Amino acid sequence: MTGTRFAPRWRLAALAGVALLVAGCATGQLDATKPIGKEAQDIDGLMRLSGWMAVGVGIFVAAAVVAIIVKFRAKPTDDPDDLPPQIHGNRKAEITWTLIPTALLVFLTIITLPTVFALAREGDGRTIKVEGQQWWWQFSYDVNNDGDFDDAVDIVTANDLVIPVGEEVNLEIHSNDVIHSFWIPQLNGKRDAVPGRVHHWRISSTEPGIFYGECVEFCGLSHANMQMRAIVLEEADFERWLDEQQAGRAAAAEPLAEDSAEAAGAALFETHCISCHVVDGVYESAAGGNANLIAGIAPNLTNLMSRTAFAGALYETYAQDADREYVRGSDGKLIVNIAGLREWVRNAPDLKPARADNLQGMLDFSEVLTDQDLDNLMAYLRTLGNEPVLPR
Amino acid sequence: MAIVTDRPDSESSGTELEPAGDGAAVLEDSPHTGVFARPTHATGWREWLFTVDHKKIGIMYGALAMFWFLVGGIEIGLVRLQLWAPDGEVISADFYNQLFTMHGVTMVFLVIMPLANAFANYLVPLQIGARDVAFPRMNALGLWVFFFGGIFLNLSWFLGGGADGGWFAYAPNTGMAYSPGHGMDFYALGLQIAGIASLLGAINLLVTIINMRCPGMSLLRMPVFTWMILVVQFLLVFALPVITVALILLTFDRTFDANFFNVDAGADPLLWQHLFWIFGHPEVYILILPAFGVVSETLPVFSRKPLFGYPIVVLSGAAIGFMGWGVWAHHMFTSGMGPVSVAAFSATTMFIAVPTGVKILNWIATMWAGKVRFTVPMMFSVSLVAMFTIGGLSGVMHAIAPADTQQTDTYFIVAHFHYVLVGGALMGMFAGMYYWWPKAFGYHLNDRLGRWHFWLMLIGFNVTFGPMHIVGLQGMARRHSVYGEFDGFEFWNKIATIGYFFMLIAMVILAVNIFRTWGRYRRGLEPAAGADPWDGRTLEWAIPSPVPEHNFDYVPVVSDVDDFWHKKYQPDETGKLRRIANGDDIAQIGDQHPHLPSPSYWPIVLAAGMPLIGFGLIYNLWIAGIGLLLLVGSMFGWTLEPATDPDAGHGHDDHGDHDDGHGGPDGHDDHNGVLAASTANGEAAGD
Repeated sequence: MTGTRFAPRWRLAALAGVALLVAGCATGQLDATKPIGKEAQDIDGLMRLSGWMAVGVGIFVAAAVVAIIVKFRAKPTDDPDDLPPQIHGNRKAEITWTLIPTALLVFLTIITLPTVFALAREGDGRTIKVEGQQWWWQFSYDVNNDGDFDDAVDIVTANDLVIPVGEEVNLEIHSNDVIHSFWIPQLNGKRDAVPGRVHHWRISSTEPGIFYGECVEFCGLSHANMQMRAIVLEEADFERWLDEQQAGRAAAAEPLAEDSAEAAGAALFETHCISCHVVDGVYESAAGGNANLIAGIAPNLTNLMSRTAFAGALYETYAQDADREYVRGSDGKLIVNIAGLREWVRNAPDLKPARADNLQGMLDFSEVLTDQDLDNLMAYLRTLGNEPVLPR
Repeated sequence: MAIVTDRPDSESSGTELEPAGDGAAVLEDSPHTGVFARPTHATGWREWLFTVDHKKIGIMYGALAMFWFLVGGIEIGLVRLQLWAPDGEVISADFYNQLFTMHGVTMVFLVIMPLANAFANYLVPLQIGARDVAFPRMNALGLWVFFFGGIFLNLSWFLGGGADGGWFAYAPNTGMAYSPGHGMDFYALGLQIAGIASLLGAINLLVTIINMRCPGMSLLRMPVFTWMILVVQFLLVFALPVITVALILLTFDRTFDANFFNVDAGADPLLWQHLFWIFGHPEVYILILPAFGVVSETLPVFSRKPLFGYPIVVLSGAAIGFMGWGVWAHHMFTSGMGPVSVAAFSATTMFIAVPTGVKILNWIATMWAGKVRFTVPMMFSVSLVAMFTIGGLSGVMHAIAPADTQQTDTYFIVAHFHYVLVGGALMGMFAGMYYWWPKAFGYHLNDRLGRWHFWLMLIGFNVTFGPMHIVGLQGMARRHSVYGEFDGFEFWNKIATIGYFFMLIAMVILAVNIFRTWGRYRRGLEPAAGADPWDGRTLEWAIPSPVPEHNFDYVPVVSDVDDFWHKKYQPDETGKLRRIANGDDIAQIGDQHPHLPSPSYWPIVLAAGMPLIGFGLIYNLWIAGIGLLLLVGSMFGWTLEPATDPDAGHGHDDHGDHDDGHGGPDGHDDHNGVLAASTANGEAAGD
């Protein structure tokens, strides 16, 4: 009776539950179980196999527990003085259930070890230097292939790790302060960045796209806000990106029109920013490290506008729609998130926790810069680099 | 401050009987012998402060652990609220980091370890037929050091903020340069103090178990709980020195500008990780094995069958203890230690699953074909078997090093170790709590409230930590104070936070149960439990409930595993086992009043010196000097105090009256009774 009366509502609730479940299963951008990189795919295979084996064993144990609950429950009618069979053990059974798990684990070990060594292998592609510091990632490219990353043509960027599709990219992972961990889940597992050590790791992607990542070893106050992304481009696009980086560097050295907002912004930049930030060929006083930060470096801003994100990849440089697709203005160009960038420069610690008083992170300029100053600074920053090359 | 020149009992205690008629003379001397006289309070708060009775110490460990459980639970409640929605703004990133750090530290060092200590202290002497632990004053010292260590650690909240480097405290993030507040100092020194407490307890229990077993109790007749406690004490004795060294290095770095973890001075930060996990992994077994011991007691009792494969269960426990030393670097698969190390630790980690799996299957076989009574302790025990299995299986998944590079530092790991530590260790501790409550206090906790506690706990636990498997695989990192709106983590985080409140309500119900049932018992509304309420198998059920101060009237002699059970069941002429006696009828009656170690002031006074040394190292070395004076002075007081209090001991000895042996936890002689007995030369009736 009550069953029929409540049926519709009950069904509705069930439907809502299923909808929620589906919504919950709608996975995000860090999902290791949706691997794109070859390395991540190898790992995913192991994870799935071991996961299903675990589920199988778990069901076996659960079934046994349920059987005990159902079948061997004491009944009120039982004679309290009557005992169930007193079995003290069974050597055969115990040897069996020692050997079966052992065999399963030997199997897992045998399929695991080759992958361990395979993941440690060096890739056949280019080498990119990765530096973790509180709380952002820096990537350096050895453009002229001379084995170091400090020539004029070598590219230093932040937040966006731009790589060509299909190439086995070798990462040379450093840390400039505490331990961080480099992780782009859809491309490969993690590798820690440990100060004083250089770790080698390999990533690759089977398709172009933007793949998100973050620091996953607790690294202090703003650990949650130390993000990054791999921008995986077709070979031709990647070449274009390399060229644009050089062009951006050259453009930054061009003189700015006198009395323009850009020039005023540059003056402010020279007053307030260059003790930490570098613009290649123009403002290099902070190059080679500075005493204002424990990490010794702040993001190199030479091609700032060519990066899809700022503030440790916490904020988008360009406007996106609800599906995280970039939107373009009527002129066909990406729309700069100028309000966000402006607010970041005005009061960075408000958008991303930092401790500038302990040389960790960016200062609060809200008491220093006027609205006019900020507008001028924005005008200058917008001259630094072209818009990013996005995967197609 | 007169030194006692005449210490009648300083020779071997109790062997020399007090000469008849000298009682009054002894009384005149003893209460006025200054600092070296021993306290005689047998009632009130002083009885608890100065006690050396392993049972009172066990109960205090349990009470303190439950208090810290509340603190640690509230800490993580704020974290769960912060994670309710993307870009949470409930608390600041700084506070968040302190909360998850202190939650971990609190739950590991101030909750699960002392809970296991509570059971070990209370039960090990009872299970091996001993009057007390080997070193009763040292036992009290362990408790008070733990007490002050916990308070010291948590005072950081009021002195500039809690530790913010994670419970694992990876260098160099915990150095002065990156964590300039005092939180990490309190962490390093607080854990150092708590470690001293654990070490004291471990040495004491080791000596107790090895030396004080009653006649006939060979190692392979020992109850499995005591066995697991033995294994754990070995682990503690070897693991704690490692963390002690690590914490000393950290303290030297922070306090005296040493360079142990200073990369610029050539240090390798992985040194800390190795030290921490060489301690930290055995620590995992230190946390879980006592719970394994508990369920190895409860499952046979409530299935009315012996433990299936007792020697294998014991041996696999010991094997876990050994193998636990060879797996620490599986916490470091992504640290860059090289593929050979990774492969080796991957393999060793796989195989530690074998003895663990054997235990689970033996427990299942124990219940199989039994007549299983689903009492509250049994429900918690069965849930341990099921929930720990889930945690163990996800553990095997991380043993696959490449898979671990995707799983480590995500919520998948958080799910894994909460299934081990909540679904395993804590469920086992709750099982033990309901199981031994009647033994310790003389009455049962309320069954209906217990069932509510169980179901809310089981459901809440799975609702909280089950979804973490999913968000973990979806890439949600641990220790992130916020997650983004595009990450897709929101739904399951909401579910997890809802689950937290189920567990919170479960804990409220447990608290209600404890206080309500206690109140009812005091008003005479709860029936006395009797010596053997569960048809138990081990020696603690062969003595009255609550346990009299002296435990055993006479030292039991055992001739079998589960000796007490064999006194109740014997084969009839057809060979079938039949009940021949009720436990309550054959239990000892607790009417003897043998010599017992007297209470002492010194454990708590000595322990009070340790937090002062800690404060001194942080703020001003002069405070440390005061603490050191107190500590060393207490050691002299400790050494020089008489071996037993002259009047209390002998008062007991001649005491003919035993009506009060069953009254309640405080039911033995009170102070006046002792004095009366002494003055009247042992003839007065105590009441």
